[in-house]
Amino acid sequence: MAWPLLVLIVVPVLAGLGSLAVRDRRLVEALQCGQAGTLLAASTLVVERVVTDGQASAGLLLQADAMSAWMDLIIGAVGGTGTLYAVGYLGEELDRGHVSMSRYRQFFCLFDLYLAAMLTAVNVENVAIMWIAVEGSTLSAALLIGFDRRKAALEAGWKYVVLSSVGIALALFGTILVYYSSEHVLGVTSEALRWSELYRVADTLDPTAIKVAFVFVLIGYGTKAGVAPMHTWLPDAHAEAPTPVSAMLSANMLAVAVYAILRFKAVADRTVGPSFSGKLMVGLGFLSVAIAGVFLLVQRDYKRLFAYSSIEHIGVVLIGFGIGGAGVFAALWHLLNHALAKSIAFYASGLVLLRHEHKVLERVPGLLRQMPLAGGAVLVAGVALAGMPPFGLFVSEVLIAIGTYAATPAVAYGFLSLLTLAFATLLYQVLRMALGEPLEAGTALGRRNQTFMSAAIWLNLATLGTIGLQVPARCGALLGSIAQIFGSTVETP
Amino acid sequence: MVDLCSALLLLTCFAIVAQRRLSACVDLFALQSVFLAATAALVAFLTGIHHIYVAAALTVVIKAIVLPRILKKVIERLNVTRELQMNINVPAGLLICCALVILAFFITQPIIPLGFLLTRDSLAIALAIVLIGFFTMIARKKAVTQVVGFLVMENGLFLGATAAAYGMPLIVELGVFFDVLVAGLIVGIYTHRIQDAFDSVDTSKLTVLKE
Repeated sequence: MAWPLLVLIVVPVLAGLGSLAVRDRRLVEALQCGQAGTLLAASTLVVERVVTDGQASAGLLLQADAMSAWMDLIIGAVGGTGTLYAVGYLGEELDRGHVSMSRYRQFFCLFDLYLAAMLTAVNVENVAIMWIAVEGSTLSAALLIGFDRRKAALEAGWKYVVLSSVGIALALFGTILVYYSSEHVLGVTSEALRWSELYRVADTLDPTAIKVAFVFVLIGYGTKAGVAPMHTWLPDAHAEAPTPVSAMLSANMLAVAVYAILRFKAVADRTVGPSFSGKLMVGLGFLSVAIAGVFLLVQRDYKRLFAYSSIEHIGVVLIGFGIGGAGVFAALWHLLNHALAKSIAFYASGLVLLRHEHKVLERVPGLLRQMPLAGGAVLVAGVALAGMPPFGLFVSEVLIAIGTYAATPAVAYGFLSLLTLAFATLLYQVLRMALGEPLEAGTALGRRNQTFMSAAIWLNLATLGTIGLQVPARCGALLGSIAQIFGSTVETP
Repeated sequence: MVDLCSALLLLTCFAIVAQRRLSACVDLFALQSVFLAATAALVAFLTGIHHIYVAAALTVVIKAIVLPRILKKVIERLNVTRELQMNINVPAGLLICCALVILAFFITQPIIPLGFLLTRDSLAIALAIVLIGFFTMIARKKAVTQVVGFLVMENGLFLGATAAAYGMPLIVELGVFFDVLVAGLIVGIYTHRIQDAFDSVDTSKLTVLKE
């Protein structure tokens, strides 16, 4: 019995329900801070456990292998600081009278359940239960995106609900097809839905059925991952959701959707060989990077800017997984670093949004002078997201570029030129925000709330900086065992 | 027999596409759910897999009674009865649906021989229903009919799971039902809020966010 795994999922549920039950603001804050600490600690413990034992399980349903542990690390690290940030952000909204106390409590309930749903999704061994948990996270996110009840927020929320539900329905059809074909090998039992069983019998499954199933899964979960051309909900949702939610959507939910695709890819690769799924993923990845690179330039809303950058990075991740080999390692590393850097970017945008109460990019220059922490954070995150050293995203993008070059040089040229485009457009916009003279004074933030938010930013900055310089030994071990799931061995650089 | 039931399901899909009155669409959806439950019960009876009965009962309760009620309440409150404007008109819509059915049979043709003898063609019909539900969501403008489209998609999926694959394990079925129910509630909440903010449930009026 691995307690950390159980704690990781049960604590957010309890903290969420607890926040709804208690009436005192300080108690809600205490509960949430407790949750933040628990998520950070428990996720590292799960990683520890999986590195030593190869897996961790709790109860009948929960079982974590190396890939789950990697996702736990991403969700735990960013979810922890995200909770801390939300305490400050919502506290400020409450102080300004934008939300009532009861809405404040509802927010934390939804937020915590959302985290719990994502953590469940990555820690179950059952294909269909994973689907249920992903759907659960979709539904809680739907209410969080429309939380503000402004027209724009409602529109973004509706768009998200409709597109994601369709996507997730297609993914369920893919899941059913996999079950349909595995039943013939394993019989009508729940064993036919377990990943480990599916991997074991994958080469005896019907190739056509698995191909069709993978296409459905890729389109379905791809919609939720914001892969172009199904990305249209993403910029709206990221821009209109309360900022802590934007950070969680971008850093965690996209990663969970990619995780779901990967699980199916591992089955499909065993059945029909890696080139089928690889080509599809590289194609969609290219499209995402290209579309995002162009749209980054024309953005006038700084939260939308970072949203488009998420589409770009998910595209890069898909290309990495698509080419396989060292690309798998690079893409996993990319997911973690992107989650950290993107959450910093959103945390900082949240500070700017609270101060100026609008999201117009042109009207917030000179952030470095006006708000040193937010400005600095936007700059560091921007540099990291553009793919400059000394950050992990540089390493992973270079590795993926090398991988594509080894496979087909033409693809590598395309990839590098698209990356350059995205690099230039993102950096241009970020520098416009960070440098120059401040235009508007804005409203200062409450000191106490500011402390919570600064703590979240500093924590993430510290982690991002540390892992940028070298891959920690445990992470390396974990990445090595994940690569084995995809049938490739890579030594960590 | 199972094929007959599945065909009836498909027929109700076409009726939903052709129907302009919102409350009739909801009724047709309820009818479709009843057919779905009948199909599931039939499969349970013929195969002797008992937990499919539970799923069939849940279908009747949730999809034929609870969700239609919620939707009817929403329609009553919103005071919209007919959908006068559509993105695609009825005859063209029906033709597209025919094309979708053919497409569904075409996609599933190579994998159908894998299926159990009893329920072979259900997989194709299930996919056809999913696609038609998807199409309804695109073709209609009112939030309520888009919801019906989504629920039709769900019905198609359920048909795929029970008829083609002889049912998922019970815990999975329960989870899926729970999700569908919550999805229905959330969509209900959203239509209320959209009505309050925009004075309409016409989703073509949601145009604040553009590039």
